[in-house]
Amino acid sequence: MSQAQKGILAPVTALGAATLRLVSEMGAMFLFFADSFRLMFSSFGQIPKTVRQIFFIGVKSISVIALIGLFTGMVIGLQTYYALSKFGSEGFLGAAVALSLVRELAPVLTAFMVTGRAGSSMTAEIGVMRITEQVDALEIMDINPMSYLVSPKLAACLISFPVLTTLFDLIGMAGGYLTGVTLMGGNAGAYLYRIDSSLDWEDVSGGYIKSLVFAVIVCTVCCYQGYFTHLRKDKGPEGVSQATTTAVVASCVLILVADYVLTSILY
Amino acid sequence: MDRANRYDIRLEGLTVGYGGKAVVSDVNVALPGGEITVILGGSGSGKSTLLKHILRLHRPIAGRVTIGGHDIFGLSRNALRCLKQRLGLLFQDGALLGSLTLFDNIALPLREHTRLKEKAIAEIVRAKAGLVGLADFLDYFPNQLSGGMRKRAGLARAMAMDPEILFCDEPTSGLDPVNSAALDDLLVELKRRFDMTLVVVSHDLASMRRIADHVVVLGRGSVLFDGSLAELEATTDPYLRRFLERRAEEGAGEMLTMPKLDPKVMKIDCSKYLGEQS
Repeated sequence: MSQAQKGILAPVTALGAATLRLVSEMGAMFLFFADSFRLMFSSFGQIPKTVRQIFFIGVKSISVIALIGLFTGMVIGLQTYYALSKFGSEGFLGAAVALSLVRELAPVLTAFMVTGRAGSSMTAEIGVMRITEQVDALEIMDINPMSYLVSPKLAACLISFPVLTTLFDLIGMAGGYLTGVTLMGGNAGAYLYRIDSSLDWEDVSGGYIKSLVFAVIVCTVCCYQGYFTHLRKDKGPEGVSQATTTAVVASCVLILVADYVLTSILY
Repeated sequence: MDRANRYDIRLEGLTVGYGGKAVVSDVNVALPGGEITVILGGSGSGKSTLLKHILRLHRPIAGRVTIGGHDIFGLSRNALRCLKQRLGLLFQDGALLGSLTLFDNIALPLREHTRLKEKAIAEIVRAKAGLVGLADFLDYFPNQLSGGMRKRAGLARAMAMDPEILFCDEPTSGLDPVNSAALDDLLVELKRRFDMTLVVVSHDLASMRRIADHVVVLGRGSVLFDGSLAELEATTDPYLRRFLERRAEEGAGEMLTMPKLDPKVMKIDCSKYLGEQS
């Protein structure tokens, strides 16, 4: 092949190499998830570790989720009231707020917030343990690092995400009430009635399925990036900071991709 | 099989490195059970790399490692578990888990691998911490301890399960001479009292002379010497003599990894640059 031909094909070659890398990375992440999921049920000793992680990932996220949920609900209440009032349909405000929160915004924004608050810290924690030989120390002590470090976090995410999503839903609806009813003067009875009548079990279960999938994505991506920090070109503290950035960006992108796929399948 | 044979470690045709690039090649040595073997070598000679491969933390490029005649890369999961619980490793910087107190760090292997009650675990932890003089620091987190204390704490944790083979990666580096000597005495005492096999990676000549029964010297990517301490002291090999006498003479760069200083760099007059700032 001549130099000119190589030059023309270079972008295609680069794209092919990047695709292969991506597919291989996704495969490795899936195996990482499968292993950590299997180890979640390895012993009763996992329970106290999982409880500690629920406190860190779930309980400590309550305040930020409540705050974001309140303001998201308030904004939706305000914007939707404005749009509906143009058609004289203010009575449907409750349905609009509830459906947009339960089906879409609560699972996605909860996942984003937990990624920023707990996901980044999971990557940094495991990454630092990796570069300071703490993970090697676990292996030498015949303690499976996946079982000790990753599985309790996965279990905690699977428990915490749906609970935090529910909290987001409820506080978001209260936020919508605050602006749509209290501030803009909408009808309180109509708001609550429309929430009750418009929400089907399918909407609620769809939101929970999304939150569980997002829990798997956030935990797997963040723990995977931390766990393999030592394989990066920069192996020291810089490697940890790069792993953390990659984990947060990749989690957010994958959440949005998965959200689209799930929305098209579930509804 | 007697105890010494049971814990003999043999490295057969072992080539170790990272990413397919060899750091130490074709290592053929036997580390006798019930003795202290010191793996000696300059900085960057591959001592710690070799140790990590002996401990199965990485797969070698070629060759095999046997402990008591068993290839450690060919063991079943249960056999490997049994073997790992007989091993202890003192890491260079202790490698204590930063989120756990010293007590919890030492208790960790006991909690994970035994069904002992907390009271018994507490007794063992206090005994092991006492052995390294840290009984009063059990509530401290690793970041509250000095480097030397972290190292001693790492030794206490490595000793928690009463291992029969103890590996130590640079146990005396960063310690003052008094603490270094105390740690050396402790290692000798452990061998004598518990009939342990010790493999110590070090570049500390004084420490090597205090503790070694058997010495393996690494350099230039291979094994330069394998024998007893007396044989090493009597060697006439010019490289080894330079190393033992701490002489940085011609050709030392082949053995050590320090580059020679460029005289031009040494003569740069910094005052003119510093003067511009004032």
